[in-house]
Amino acid sequence: MHPFHPEYIITALLKIVPYVGITLLMMLGTVIFGGLIGILLARAKIKRRIIPRAIAEGYIYLTRCIPSIVMLFIVYYGIPFLLLQFGIDVNHFSKGVFVITAFSILFASNLGEVFRAAYLAVDPGQREAAVCSGLSEFQAFYRIVLPQAAVHALPNFSNMLVNLMKEGALAYSIGLIDVMGEGSLLIGMNQGSFSLEIYLAMAIIYWTLTLVIELIFGRLEKSLSKGRKHATSVA
Amino acid sequence: MKLNTEFMRETFIASLGGVPKTFLITILTLLVSIPIAFSMALSKLENKNVSSKIVTGYVSLIRGTPIVLQILFIYSLLPSTLNYLIKDVFGLSYNIFKMNKIVYAIIVFSLNNIAVLTELFRSALGTVGHGQMEAAMTVGLSKRQAYARIIIPQALVAALPNLCNTVIGLIKNTSLAFLMAVQEITAISKMKAASGYYYIEAYLMIALIYIIVCTVVQLLFAVIEHQLSGYKKRLAV
Amino acid sequence: MLKVKNVSKAFKDNQVLKKVDLEVEKGDVVVILGPSGSGKTTFLRCIDFLEKADGGEIEFDDIKTDLNHASAKTIEKIRKKSAFVFQNYNLFANKTALQNVTEGLTVARKVPKAEAIEIAKKALDKVGLSDKYDSYPVQLSGGQQQRVGIARAIAVNPDIILFDEPTSALDPELVGEVLKIMRELAKEGITMIVVTHEMKFAQDVATKVVFMDGGVVVEEGSPKEIFTKPKEERTREFLMRILPDFDYTI
Repeated sequence: MHPFHPEYIITALLKIVPYVGITLLMMLGTVIFGGLIGILLARAKIKRRIIPRAIAEGYIYLTRCIPSIVMLFIVYYGIPFLLLQFGIDVNHFSKGVFVITAFSILFASNLGEVFRAAYLAVDPGQREAAVCSGLSEFQAFYRIVLPQAAVHALPNFSNMLVNLMKEGALAYSIGLIDVMGEGSLLIGMNQGSFSLEIYLAMAIIYWTLTLVIELIFGRLEKSLSKGRKHATSVA
Repeated sequence: MKLNTEFMRETFIASLGGVPKTFLITILTLLVSIPIAFSMALSKLENKNVSSKIVTGYVSLIRGTPIVLQILFIYSLLPSTLNYLIKDVFGLSYNIFKMNKIVYAIIVFSLNNIAVLTELFRSALGTVGHGQMEAAMTVGLSKRQAYARIIIPQALVAALPNLCNTVIGLIKNTSLAFLMAVQEITAISKMKAASGYYYIEAYLMIALIYIIVCTVVQLLFAVIEHQLSGYKKRLAV
Repeated sequence: MLKVKNVSKAFKDNQVLKKVDLEVEKGDVVVILGPSGSGKTTFLRCIDFLEKADGGEIEFDDIKTDLNHASAKTIEKIRKKSAFVFQNYNLFANKTALQNVTEGLTVARKVPKAEAIEIAKKALDKVGLSDKYDSYPVQLSGGQQQRVGIARAIAVNPDIILFDEPTSALDPELVGEVLKIMRELAKEGITMIVVTHEMKFAQDVATKVVFMDGGVVVEEGSPKEIFTKPKEERTREFLMRILPDFDYTI
């Protein structure tokens, strides 16, 4: 066994922390693009028109079954292959594009389900009351339903974000240099002699990020749902 | 350029050979982690002492870090540690590096799955109203009897949909066992892919196999749920 | 037969019970009345150890114990001599009506299965549910569920049955079927303590009425004493509020 050098954990932390930005950027991109698809999926499932609904259900079903690493490779090898048929060469594209594409495809389902559950959690009476008091459908959705749904969505969204971050660590396998990627590079550079220390440093970073995400969303939920909870009484 | 369908067919068949190993890892992991997770969930609910704090910390750490990191960490730590223990501490001559790699996979996935299942069981036990325990007490059941006969059967039914998701998640995670040199679905087709540079074909086939495997698992759970949740169904009035 | 003394209980800094006493003789039907928040439900739950009292003693036939420091053995003994009917029924959701009744017999009291089924069927017949043996709780109306709850209580042949607002969760048209069974039980001489808002039941059936308010027993006596000439102002106010045609003669 290699001797254990706890002080190297600090060295590794200092080297890896700058790459937290890449990890967060990857998450942001996925939430934006996956969120757009997710909205479509949620709409299709809520509206109950048969064909869009079946497509949405099928999409969610299939993406739920595919491991992230497999999806990453399908996108990484498949998209350049596909686009080359049309004479477009994307092999020089940043790795980040493929990562965000792959995770957007996968997490659109999760995001869609978060949106749908949040929308359905708002009492239909809210929309009815809004429409009856003269608001348009869009105004009713935007001003009455959406703010309430957002509060309902927070805990699930936070969960989804943590999952995305953890799955996102796999992006190193196609060569993205984020937290996991930089850590692996570091291990390679040291020829494996500080691997435990570096793994621990990465674990500290990911765990901290998770706790921060949970803290922020927990706070947000608390402050947004103020005054909505019923006063509790002892029987 | 076209997809090489001949290669796809070959890879599909070859990768199917990895399915039993995927199921083996999944089932053994569940067998190890379900009882441990259940007792950890109970200890978290029943007493608020040091052990429940440790459980909480463990669950938070495991659920807060990527599984790929857990795999790499344990796989780089465990074999040499075990070797050290066996050779230098116990003075045995067993060669740990010859041990089947599947053992490591089961250890890693169990450690991970225990944390996930602890949370799952805790919330499932929480869905059973407190009145059920009270009623069991008043008819004279002991706490153990109440759990075994009233609380757990109901919690299990409540847990089934999430348990199905967890099992699917676990199966998807086993695709990372190739990092520990275990020859399951992904590992086999990765090798096939590299041999002929037909990556896209190979990965499409893996996806297809996982879709089939997950479908089987979901059907299985649907059957179990149907069997167990009879008491929840209202008669048509 | 049953004596509880000095029962105290606080939830955080809210003192719900302040040294409450109660004595029950065999065959008594004790009805506890009082406004909501008066502590009557908490008091009943303390007797069966569903709530751990901060202080007080219980004497149940030859069993005598401190309510706060009772051993698990003693609690079990007391529970096996008594039965509890809940406001929201608390039927075991994963068991049929029949299994709900046999559970306490076969598992807790080691009655052989065949015998337990016989007893359970008789109990269910008695509450008018002969055709619902194999129904699960979700398939029953509230009134039917509460009748199963009562069958579950009488089947174990308890020395006393504690009723915690047994009709409060029921739709008005279902209250009658439950009260009718409780009246029959009273007629048979089964000892019970009933927390309820059903004044008519208290007037007709109770051997003793206890009026609680603010965590203390304000007044107790026969139904006649309480309903026609209450001694305490608080009792009078409560009855006036709850019985529109209550005319009090002093």
